[in-house]
Amino acid sequence: MTMCPLTCSNVLSRRLMLCLLAAQFAMPMLVGNAQAAGLDEIKKRGLIVATEDDFRPFEFVKDGKPTGFDNELIDDLRKSAPFEIKQEILPWTGILAGVSTGKYDVAITAAIITKERKQSLEFTSPIADATHYYVKRKDDKSISSIKDLSGKTVGVQAGSALLARLPELGTMLEKDGGKLGKIVEYTSYPEAYQDLALGRVDYVVNTIINLKTLVAEKPVFEVGQAVSGKSFPAWAVAKDNKELLAFLNEFIAKEKASGRFAELQKKWFGEAFPDLPVAFEPEF
Amino acid sequence: MSGSDIAAIFQGAIVTVTLSLIGILIGLPIGLGLALIRWANVPVVAGIVTLYVSMLRATPLVTLLLLLFFALPNIGVPINPISAAILALVMNTSAFNCEVWRSALMNFPKDQYEAAQSVGMRAGQRFRRIVLPQIVRVSLPGLVNEMSLLIKVTPVLAVVGVVDITRAAVRIGAQTYEPLPPLLVAVALYAPIVFALVSLQRWIERRQIAAEAAA
Repeated sequence: MTMCPLTCSNVLSRRLMLCLLAAQFAMPMLVGNAQAAGLDEIKKRGLIVATEDDFRPFEFVKDGKPTGFDNELIDDLRKSAPFEIKQEILPWTGILAGVSTGKYDVAITAAIITKERKQSLEFTSPIADATHYYVKRKDDKSISSIKDLSGKTVGVQAGSALLARLPELGTMLEKDGGKLGKIVEYTSYPEAYQDLALGRVDYVVNTIINLKTLVAEKPVFEVGQAVSGKSFPAWAVAKDNKELLAFLNEFIAKEKASGRFAELQKKWFGEAFPDLPVAFEPEF
Repeated sequence: MSGSDIAAIFQGAIVTVTLSLIGILIGLPIGLGLALIRWANVPVVAGIVTLYVSMLRATPLVTLLLLLFFALPNIGVPINPISAAILALVMNTSAFNCEVWRSALMNFPKDQYEAAQSVGMRAGQRFRRIVLPQIVRVSLPGLVNEMSLLIKVTPVLAVVGVVDITRAAVRIGAQTYEPLPPLLVAVALYAPIVFALVSLQRWIERRQIAAEAAA
């Protein structure tokens, strides 16, 4: 008598296990064969562009409208491209995954070129110089140079190139006998800045452009020194999408030649970067 | 924070309320259907429903949403952010609703059902007149609880680009570098939405009590 419920539940759990096992095999079918759309297909259905919504000054939303450096370039692209442009605005979390799975054709955002990302994505010509700097509270007298950062808590965006290249800062600190302190990861930078203001982190690492804009707006912060070597952000397309990459590179080259690129850089970053490389091979 | 910023958060509120309402209105009957299948022990289907409910209850909404959004286009199903958000909400809430409905069904007195059978009521009539009114009453607090959770879980829909109250507030904070004021407005907006839902529950309960007293 007591055996029945036991065997019943055994049968059920065996079935459950089998189903879960089957699901495991079905998964690759769902996530595999991501297919990048060629230019011909894009001409038919339009170019699907993904941008961020909280990454001032590159892309952000003001009065309900997308604006910033990249969004102005998208406006230019809309005028000159021989196809329709459909824009999706979403948080950073889903952007690169969406491009590598073919959900979006291109991420028009400041995605820093890294070795790891190059395995699944292709990058256009760099759109700015994004060497990493640290920012601190202006009234925090304990930090005045790189070596003072030893052991201090740092805030950085999760899944970002800035996080991936923190070991570079670690190496700099170790030269003086120091070490990298605790690392706190945020989903986006506004939270990190807020925590810096509240004193929960001692410094935040981001690109020089983002930090300059921040400090111009919030003088309670102060930009420190560079904590990385050369670093460039660019737009990202799927790995095998050479046609689209060539098209976008040509667009960027045209914008650079006409002086429009420098004009937009001055407007949004406060300075132009005239000697950006056409292609960049990352070391990290 | 400017007037247009506050308008942007209110626009987010419309999205939050609309998506929650759609999720609730579709998820509620599906949950009931699933619970009935399990209650009636329909061969094979009941087993599938059990598996569905346990898997959905074990999957975080944000994970489910990202999976649907990125995986479905790969098998030839194009899906936009809003449909993916609604699909994920419905799948998630129907699994939880199923269990609330089922708890009421399990406690439903069998003798009432048999009495209805003996006076010649058909299955549909038995369900509409005898079972449903009573299980609605028992399930209501649990269902409203699940609905209020659903409203408050809508910020996770932002990962695919849906701009709800919270995302609208975050965007403003990112533009002004002052995240606190928009978040305060956001918090102040959730309270009346959930309060409206709870008032609706109270109203239904009062009507039921009045109907019973009249009978």
